[in-house]
Parts: sequence; C-alpha cells; structure tokens
Amino acid sequence: MLPNLKVENLSCVRSNKVVFENINFEVFPGENLEIIGSNGSGKTTLLRTILGLIKPEKGIINWLDENDKFNDFRTFECFYQGHQLGIKNLLTVYENLQLTHGAKGMDENKIYECLERVGLMHINELASNLSVGQRKRISIARWLVKNFKIYFIDEPFSALDDEATSMIEHLIQELNSKGCSFVITGHRPSQVKANRISI
Amino acid sequence: MGSPPLFYNWSSKIIPWLGLLTLLVLLIGLYWGLFLAPMDYKQGDVYRIIYIHVPSAILGESIFIFMAICGFINVIWRAKISGMLLKAAAPIGMSFTLLVLVTGSVWGKPTWGTWWVWDARLTSTLILFFIYAALIGLHSTIEDKTKADRAVSILSIVGVAIIPVIKKSVDWWQTLHQPSTFTITSSPSMSPDMYIPLLVCLIGFYLFFAYMLTLNLRNVVIERESSKNWVKHVMDQESK
Amino acid sequence: MFGSIFSWLNIILKRDLLIAFRKSSTYITPLVFFLIVVTFFPLALGPQESLLSSLAPGVIWIAALLASLLAVETIFSDDFRDGTLDEFFISLEPSFILVFAKVLIHWLITGLPILFASLIAAIVLYLPFESFIPMLLSLILGTSFMSLLGALGAALSLGRSAILSAIIVLPFSIPTLLMGTSVISSSLTNQDFSGFLMIMGAMLAIGIPLLCLLTVEALLLNYE
Repeated sequence: MLPNLKVENLSCVRSNKVVFENINFEVFPGENLEIIGSNGSGKTTLLRTILGLIKPEKGIINWLDENDKFNDFRTFECFYQGHQLGIKNLLTVYENLQLTHGAKGMDENKIYECLERVGLMHINELASNLSVGQRKRISIARWLVKNFKIYFIDEPFSALDDEATSMIEHLIQELNSKGCSFVITGHRPSQVKANRISI
Repeated sequence: MGSPPLFYNWSSKIIPWLGLLTLLVLLIGLYWGLFLAPMDYKQGDVYRIIYIHVPSAILGESIFIFMAICGFINVIWRAKISGMLLKAAAPIGMSFTLLVLVTGSVWGKPTWGTWWVWDARLTSTLILFFIYAALIGLHSTIEDKTKADRAVSILSIVGVAIIPVIKKSVDWWQTLHQPSTFTITSSPSMSPDMYIPLLVCLIGFYLFFAYMLTLNLRNVVIERESSKNWVKHVMDQESK
Repeated sequence: MFGSIFSWLNIILKRDLLIAFRKSSTYITPLVFFLIVVTFFPLALGPQESLLSSLAPGVIWIAALLASLLAVETIFSDDFRDGTLDEFFISLEPSFILVFAKVLIHWLITGLPILFASLIAAIVLYLPFESFIPMLLSLILGTSFMSLLGALGAALSLGRSAILSAIIVLPFSIPTLLMGTSVISSSLTNQDFSGFLMIMGAMLAIGIPLLCLLTVEALLLNYE
C-alpha cells in the first residue's frame, strides 16, 4: 500500500535561524503520526509547511493522487485545525458547523448527528456563550461531517477533561478504521496509537 | 552576485571607480549645463534648473519601475537579493522625487509666479512621493526584514500602475505644465546645445543612482547577515 | 469543480453576511461616518446653495473614500484571529476567489450603505437631480475599487495598527478620487463623463485579478 503523504528531508529556515531540519515521514491510510516537541519548537510551522501555507526551504512534500502517483500538489481535501479553532462567536453552534468548508453540501440531519456524537445539546446557543471545552467540541464535531483522508490537528489534547480526551481517542480510532489518518502534535506522547517523531 | 560575501568583496573593488566616474560625468554635465549652455530666450537663466529637475524626475520614476521589477521577481521567485535591492533603492527614489518637487517649485516661482500649482503633473509626482513614503513606512513596521521586503514588493507592483497615470495625466488635464522634455519617438524640441548637456546630466544621475544603490545594498546585506561568520570576518579586517 | 467553488462561496457569503447582520455596527458605522463628514462641510463653509452644489462632488467623494476605508482593517483581522482564514488556504479552491468573496462582502456592508447615504448627501448639498445617476455610477465603480485596495492594505497590515492600512491605501486611492469627482463635475457642466467612467471601469477590471492575487500573497506572509 502507498502512503497518502510522503515528506522527505524537509527543512525550514526563518530569518537565518533553522526552525526544523531533515524531517522525514510517511502517512499511510489508517495510520497516525504524532509530532512531539516543546513550545516554540516549530510544530505549527511544520504543519503549515506541509499544507502549503509556508514555502519550505528544502525538501519534498509528496501527495498521492487518484492514479497512485505522487505529486508536489494536493488533489484531495484535508482537514486542518489550528490553535485557534475557527469558531465564530456570533454564530450558533449549529451554524458554526453548517457554515464551514467541510460541511459544503451536507444535509441538516448529518450535522445534527455530528453534534450529538460529541455531546453538544444546545445547538442554537451562540458560540460566544460557550466554554473553552465546549468550543473544542464544536471543532471535534467538524471532524465527523465528512471523512477526510488526512486530519492535521494542532494539539488536540490541550485544555480537555478526561471524558473529552477519551472521546477524542475513541473517535481517532474509529476514523482510523475507515482509512483516515491523523497527523497530530503535542508536548508529550498521547495514548493514541501512532508513529512518533520529535522535533 | 549570488552570494552575499561575493557581492561584498566585488563591490568593495568597484565602488571607488564607480564613484570617480559618477563625479566626473556629473561635473561635466552640470558645468556644461549651468555655465556653457546658451541662455533660453524666454526664461533666461532660470531655465538652467532643468539640468537637475529633469534628470531627477526621470530618476524618481525609473527607480520606481526598477523597484517594481525587483518586487515582481521577489514575489514570483522569492529571490531574497531582489528584495534587498528594493529596500536599498527606495530611499534613493524618494530623495529624487523630493528633489523634483523642490526644484520644480523653485522654478515655478519666477516662471509661473507661484510656488505650487495643482497641476496634474505636479500632483501625480506628489502622489509618487506619498507612495514612496507608504512603501518605506510599511517596511519599517514589519520586524522580520525578509517578510518586510516581500510586503513592500507586493505594494510596489500596485504602485507601478501609477506611473502610466502620471505620464498620461498631462494629456488628460491640459494645464500649466509644459509637455515632456524627452520623448523617444520624436526629435527634441530643444536645441542640441541645451539638449546634449541634459543627456550628460541624466547619465551622471543614473551613475549616481548605481553608486548609491551599491553602497546601500552593502549596508542592507551586512545588516541582514550580521550573525554570519563572514560578516564578523569582514568587520574585523576593516577595523584593523 | 465550479460547483464546489460556488457552494463554498455561498457558504462564505452566508456566514459573513449573517455575522454582519448580527453585529449591526459593521454596516451602520460607515453610513453614519459618511453622513457626519458630509454635514461638516455646510457647517464649516456656510450654507450658500451655489457654493455647496459646486463643492458637492468633492465632498461626497472624500466622505465616501474615508468611510469605505473605515472598516477596511476588519476584512481579514477577525478571520485571521479565530483561525477561519486557514480554511481559505487549506481548501483546494483557488484562494484568490475567496479573497474576492471577502472583498465583495466588504463592499456589500460598506459600499452599498454609502450608495444610499450618498443620495441623502446629494440632496442636502443641492446637487442637481441630473447628476444623481453619474454620481451613483462613479460611486459603484469607485467604492468597489476602494474595497479591493483596502483588502490589500488590510492584508499587508494584518495584526498591526489599523491606521497603517489607511496610510498604505490612501495614496493609491487618489486616481479613484480624481476620476470620481471628474465624473460628477462634468455632469454638472453637461459635459461628457463616460470617458472617466470607462477609466474607472478599466481600473476595476485590472484591479480585480491583480489585487486579489497580490492580496493572497500578502495574506500568506502572515503565516510565516
């Protein structure tokens, strides 16, 4: 089986300082990758570089296309969740899920279903009234609207209680079984079954 | 000119010669224009300010085009050196534009009877000056200098659209300012005695720009690469 | 392919207009600002009808320019802060189309209210009724161009001072101001103003692709 994403020799230099160097990994369908590093070690920069927001100094990022060929551009949609969760305060919980890129062309029932899965009850509440944990749940509900090939999640386990943590672990496992992969970052290794690299 | 240390060494050799040549051409051009060229029958000696005014006007605009080309290269190919060139050229272009405005109003007082008129040509040169100011201002607000270069590159591409507006503005609003002195397509309306020293001055101004640009670029390169070993090496050598 | 772009554009438009609708200050502030600036001129210059009607083109245009720059900074800042802007660049749709959508939204919530307010301004400044149509036409073209320029200024000064974006944009807006006022002034003296409108249209036509692409570049700078 071929990996969906293959990163070779990736380096990033910013204002004459090396952020990371010689990153190599492959992401196979259904497998996870965890990037471990302390604050300021360039985890977010690495994710952004892979997704094309930043041009890499050196190295190759290869994406698999439908014809089993590797390209330096992406032909499938990915899911990205940064530190800021992309939640609009002036939209309700339901609208925050409905009016996102992933939910393009989804019907109402699917969205209700996703919200139910993560345990969000008050779907007509404005997001500005929610707690940090609840906001995080909205962003987790977004994982479920569609099956993406690769999910890039920046620090999924920060600011979560035990219940939510085990829910995420459960969801990752479930999505893995459908062939989805996760690329996640963190300060220390999590419980998720994954290949780990540290930067 | 690919690597910074190479450029630095190369420019150290070229600078004295370039400086000498600039001085020579400028002196010849200005002396010829200010003392030897015949007097204008309408304006008298006042017209001689064109030997500074016209070359700086051309420089002010062509430096902007130069910057936009550098900006374009920097945005498309991410060539860092073109970003540095842009940064080095901006203050020179701004100074020339200021010189145009000042010499223009000094010239305007005796010939038109006023320091400033809201004529299209003058106004668009003033806009060019503001755009230079905006570019330099934007550069100074961004701490990461490579990023600042790219931001200014983007803005300079937009700014270059203003140059045709300046050129066309004379035709759109027929007002006080006389038509362009230089045109490539038709023969000059001035007599050759006045025209040739002007050309010499123009070449002198261009050389002056090249000289200043090299000096500025050296400073920018040293500033950017200040943490590198070769800079420390060069600094040690020069302080000896 | 195109279907997917349109459904995504649809989502962005719906989301941002909904947010603007819930936060009424976004569209009321430029409107009120415009009217206040217009009111200042008769107060400062005196209420003579002939004076005001001859100054009206300039007054309306200056007020429109300043008002449309007022909200420029918010075009991308909210989206950048809460992370929704990332979606623009992660998605497979070309990003400059999404920038165009943001510009369109900005025009809908500032340019469009200014158009309505300009009718009131024209009446109180004694602009002749025949000049209303040229005024509206010039404002439609001009404020759209201002929104485009504003988006670039906002992208370049993202996360920095709001004043900076105005200072970046103002020198570039002068041609718009000249053309816009020329349209109304020529219509006051019964001269042909279509030439100026065509230049404004040409600026807009070149500006949409060029400025949207450059804005994408400027936005990406903020991720580095």
